[in-house]
Amino acid sequence: MSADRAIVERWVERVLQSYPAQTLPFLRGEQDPFRNPVGHTLRESLTILAGELMGKMDRQRIAQALDAIIRMRAVQDFGPSDAVRFVFDLRTAIREWGGAVPDSLESRIDELALLAFDHYMGCREQIFALRINELRLKARYAASEEGETP
Amino acid sequence: MQETLIQIEPKPPRGDWRDPHVEFRKGSMCYSAAPKNLTYLGLPNPRVWQPTDSDWKLPPDWKKTILAGMKERLDKFRSFRLFMDVCVRCGACADKCHFYLGTADPKNMPVARAELIRSVYRRYFTLSGRIFGSLAGGRELTEDVIKEWYYYFYQCTQCRRCSVFCPYGIDTAEITLLGRELLTLIGCNINWVMEPVANCYRTGNHLGIQPHGFKDSIDFAADEASEITGLKIEMPINRKGAEILFVMPSADYFATPHYYTLLGYMMLFHEIGLDYTVSAYASEGGNFGSFASHELMKRLNAKIYDEAKRLGVKWILGGECGHMWRVLHQYMDTMNGPADFLEVPVSPVTGTVFENARSTRMVHICEFTADLIHHGKLRLDRGRNDHWNVTYHDSCNPARGMGLLEEPRYILNHVARRFHEMPENTIREQTFCCGSGAGLGTDENLEIRLRGGFPRANAVKYVKEKYGVNLLTCICAIDKATLPTLLEYWVPGVEVGGVHELVGNALVMTGEKERTTDLRGEALATESVLASGESEARHA
Ligand code: SF4
Ligand code: SF4
Repeated sequence: MSADRAIVERWVERVLQSYPAQTLPFLRGEQDPFRNPVGHTLRESLTILAGELMGKMDRQRIAQALDAIIRMRAVQDFGPSDAVRFVFDLRTAIREWGGAVPDSLESRIDELALLAFDHYMGCREQIFALRINELRLKARYAASEEGETP
Repeated sequence: MQETLIQIEPKPPRGDWRDPHVEFRKGSMCYSAAPKNLTYLGLPNPRVWQPTDSDWKLPPDWKKTILAGMKERLDKFRSFRLFMDVCVRCGACADKCHFYLGTADPKNMPVARAELIRSVYRRYFTLSGRIFGSLAGGRELTEDVIKEWYYYFYQCTQCRRCSVFCPYGIDTAEITLLGRELLTLIGCNINWVMEPVANCYRTGNHLGIQPHGFKDSIDFAADEASEITGLKIEMPINRKGAEILFVMPSADYFATPHYYTLLGYMMLFHEIGLDYTVSAYASEGGNFGSFASHELMKRLNAKIYDEAKRLGVKWILGGECGHMWRVLHQYMDTMNGPADFLEVPVSPVTGTVFENARSTRMVHICEFTADLIHHGKLRLDRGRNDHWNVTYHDSCNPARGMGLLEEPRYILNHVARRFHEMPENTIREQTFCCGSGAGLGTDENLEIRLRGGFPRANAVKYVKEKYGVNLLTCICAIDKATLPTLLEYWVPGVEVGGVHELVGNALVMTGEKERTTDLRGEALATESVLASGESEARHA
């Protein structure tokens, strides 16, 4: 296994640990992306993020991968800090693998964490906006009870 | 040495599954039923309370009531006792529930959901459980268990996906319904089920729209259909002696994007000169009663046959509705039938006898329209849907509840040029639920809905990225109401529409004026849209 691959595997494993223990074998083991959307999204996003952080830093690819994973964690049962904590797990993964985290990567990880928080807030705000929108529709439909048309 | 400011624990494994404690959080629970709705329906224990309260104000003899209720149902429904006894915990269903897949909460495995009630069954209704208690997998019935039931039975959309994979055919959706039914006995209901039930009972539809409001909505839509086509289109209401009674979900006449489907029905019926009527009394196909109890399901469902009898129609045609069809297919005949005052449905246009509806005397609009197309009775211009790149979501109830898989696809392939299926293990019998059915589709429960709808959205995202799909069609009112929110969050850029909306777009009507927009008022695609690299795609 290449060094990068080994680090990604460790990273994925650490992030998986934030889910209930009984669910881990499934999240880890099921390879079909449609049967296991959560496990698949985690693996896919973290692989891209690790590749970019340790490589070219393609902003767009980072934004997309980050969005996929944050969007998911923003609706799961996590508080804000738990939802974005996975970014820092990369550091631990590298150390566990036996490497040192180079300074340049250190600052990239910090930057990613900040970006993750922005995405998280964006998702939460969107959820509230969607909810308000549904409430508004309900009110409009309730008005049609009085004989108004849609 | 790593310093941590906040100590963040990884998620604790939820220890012993027998521990019933659950935490109710805003955003991931449904509000309790308002007392006025329970009172209206004559249901027990109406009171003001919320799931987040520590005291649920249960009636003093609640435990006796639940156990007596269980006993009664174990005797009445053979399936219930069977489902309690035969599960071998093989786990085949475990990872098939969209709520489990989206939440990763082990108690959302269908087998665990059933175990919530099965453990109580073991403790009180089996010999080994009575003697050995928890050693035999039994569990005391406590208030916490009631709260846990509420939490998890209102985190199941009764979609039946799990039952497709169970070697014993255990239907967790049935178990959920029975669980909710037991909760109803002590007044633990959610408002988004009970308010629609009360309204349906009172005025015939779930928003409580009164007959004059119903007429206004229908007339308004008919005017709009007339304007689009340049023809004089009407939808008759309460017309005695019509050949066919048409029943649709009420959202079709008050909500969008359902409304465009209503326009589609109207145009189709006008073009073929159908002798039909709609009814203000049976103005709701959707059966919210089926989310709460067999009794309420029956009370609401009865209105359809009653009205068919009163109006003297020959048979019934039903619109794009989800649970109406599940109720019809599984229960209506024995519950409120036999409908021997009706005739076996025959299409007045093609002469086809709908043998499958020989006993219920009610035909699905997709069966009806597919038959028209099959006999070449409709002129269809597929190009009028070129601005849509379509996929199809099998709504759980028509797909798994009644096996309606081919007809909608047959229609779509005849009315649109670009159609792409989602991956095989996410459609047809294996379709993923929208995550908002069975009464859960309310705004206060949005986070649970977004989690439960993730597997569905994930498949939509795939076809969007791979084929450029921009319209998810479906034939269920709850889907149409809740999928737009879901997709806006997970897959922005994909809209939601009905099959008959696209029929209405493509239908070339006798004497119509030239169409420049679709039923939504959006400009039709020009030639160049299809020419830009996309060839005609049809996946049967
Ligand atoms: S698949 Fe059927 S028998 Fe197996 S655990 Fe699930 S409910 Fe029980
Ligand atoms: S019926 Fe649907 S929602 Fe309920 S447990 Fe089964 S798969 Fe999950």
